[in-house]
Amino acid sequence: MKLGLPLPALTGALTGALFLAGLAIAPAFAQDSEVNHIAVLTPEQPNDFGWNQQAAKAARAVGEALSIDVTLASGLGYGDVRPTLRELAAEGADLLIAHASGYNTTAPEIAEETGVPVAIVDRPDLMQPGLVADYTLSGHEGAYLAGVLATQMSRSATLGIVVSGEPPSWNSQSAAFAQGARASDPDIELRYSVIGPAAYADAAGARRVTDAVIAAGADVIFGQGNGSTFGILQAVETNDAPDGGKIWFIDVIGDKSSIDGGHLLSSVVWNLEPVYRAMIEDLGKGTFGTRGYSIRLEDESLYLLQSEHIPAEVWERVMEVREQIVAGEITVEPKFEAEAVRALMTAVSD
Amino acid sequence: MESLLTTPFLTALLAGSLAAGLPLLLAGLGEQMSEKAGVLNIGLEGMMLLGAYCGFLGAWSSGSLWLGFLCGMLGGLALALPMMLLCVWLGLNQIVVGIALTLSAEGLTALLHHVQFSQSYPRLPRVDTLPLPLLSEIPVLGTALFDRHPLVYLAILAVPLLAWLYRSSLLGLNLQAAGDRPAALDAAGISVIATRSLAVLFTGAMAGLGGAYLATVGAGLFVPFMTSGAGFIAIVLAMLGRGRPLWVLLGALLFGLCLSLTTALQVAGLRVPTDLVQMLPFAAVMLLLLFFGRRAALPAALTRPYRRGER
Repeated sequence: MKLGLPLPALTGALTGALFLAGLAIAPAFAQDSEVNHIAVLTPEQPNDFGWNQQAAKAARAVGEALSIDVTLASGLGYGDVRPTLRELAAEGADLLIAHASGYNTTAPEIAEETGVPVAIVDRPDLMQPGLVADYTLSGHEGAYLAGVLATQMSRSATLGIVVSGEPPSWNSQSAAFAQGARASDPDIELRYSVIGPAAYADAAGARRVTDAVIAAGADVIFGQGNGSTFGILQAVETNDAPDGGKIWFIDVIGDKSSIDGGHLLSSVVWNLEPVYRAMIEDLGKGTFGTRGYSIRLEDESLYLLQSEHIPAEVWERVMEVREQIVAGEITVEPKFEAEAVRALMTAVSD
Repeated sequence: MESLLTTPFLTALLAGSLAAGLPLLLAGLGEQMSEKAGVLNIGLEGMMLLGAYCGFLGAWSSGSLWLGFLCGMLGGLALALPMMLLCVWLGLNQIVVGIALTLSAEGLTALLHHVQFSQSYPRLPRVDTLPLPLLSEIPVLGTALFDRHPLVYLAILAVPLLAWLYRSSLLGLNLQAAGDRPAALDAAGISVIATRSLAVLFTGAMAGLGGAYLATVGAGLFVPFMTSGAGFIAIVLAMLGRGRPLWVLLGALLFGLCLSLTTALQVAGLRVPTDLVQMLPFAAVMLLLLFFGRRAALPAALTRPYRRGER
């Protein structure tokens, strides 16, 4: 049977039909390329009431809210996570969130290798559009408030800062804590000590260092650590202040109220849900890797925990300062360098 | 400066030195016996960690620190048993087995902690001390060094006891021979396997005790990975000790003192990079290695499995 159309016309019609079909299904493919599955890698188990737990909590919340699958790879330590990253990419993760500064060299490598976008921490210089985004989180606005609170609560006019390392996020919080304290009382003394090189799990070291900081006169301790934070808490609970009274502890990132032995004054709480949600939205819009992500008092991704130990009038004063920060009347600039932090502390030569 | 040079601050620093040094001393003394007998126990870190977990669990559930120490020793022993079986009895590579044991202990204790303590993070109450009459009344030094938990005194007493054992007892001679000339020991009718097994088990118990002290007295709680490399530092101290327990004691105290010094310098607000200050304990150990390590004579048969008739 002879076709009614000449061959060139038939070929043209077929090509046109294919082109139109391609156009029609293009949005469906674009939809498929959106995020359906995210994976979060944490160095420790998500039960530290801090860094790891907040990441897991936020990922689950985002997963539920957006109906996407969430894989949590936890307790990976601080070593080489390339195999885990590759495995998660092979399992179909559309976004890998490498939630440790120790992963920010390997994760971009795996992103290049597999084409799966990664989010890393503390390295904005490594961002690549569509592939690598950074979230150098800093609760400096909240830490400033913590400094104001600590000064109001201190009886000895001496505050302690104990940290288990000097990553940029913690430096900025230590600096902001000092700035907030000095803004409330320019004569306040600040004692600062790092537990050890990357002593994130060194609870005994944390206790030993905190004991010394307390003995140096501090009666409010601003502590930043992961597992080591519990050593700070233990030191605060088993020591008396120089005046025989209670020593207060101000935590960061998580909320330890459920295990408080009566010394948890407050915490600079990080809510990572808006951060992860923004990453997913940016992937959908094709803007992933073009900007960093932050946490702020303004959108409640950062807030100061109100414990029962804070007198109402003190809390009122702290909230006044919060409003001033949100309104832009007080600007808290993050200082990410350890040198800048040390410059704010009380030196024996002062 | 005067505001910092107070009795409480100086006492806290010295007490901190002892607290940091004691787990190293206990584990280092154990490792020294193992090395003397020819077994390099790289699994020391894992034994300390399992001892820390078991020690804390025992003390927390029973309310008795001494029961906690016993549980810690049993925990260390539990990990020393496979070391003994695989390395001493079957002659497998000591370094590979040691690393495997450490990794296993890290995984196991992290899992157990997750199941048992991750929602509550229990903590022990303040530890009672035993002030030594007269000595504890010396200003600063008295409270810092002579008003401590009784285990501190026992650990220090173990130093001359072990020195006597190595120098003046038959067992000490057997241990030395098991590490230097196992064939000669065998020819004398003494079992090399039994001698090395005893040394490995002793190491496990001491490392477990060190871990238990770290968790119960040092921290008052258990968190995963809390030994933070203390086991490896104890191995270095044992090697530097060249078979002399006193050197392990001095090394452990020096390391602890340097750790306290890093805290003191930071609290004093010294404006030098923290990384430099934090290097102090490690630099001290490296200096020790530089000056004394060259003369460190390790047992000739260290890490070599013993098989009768094999040259």
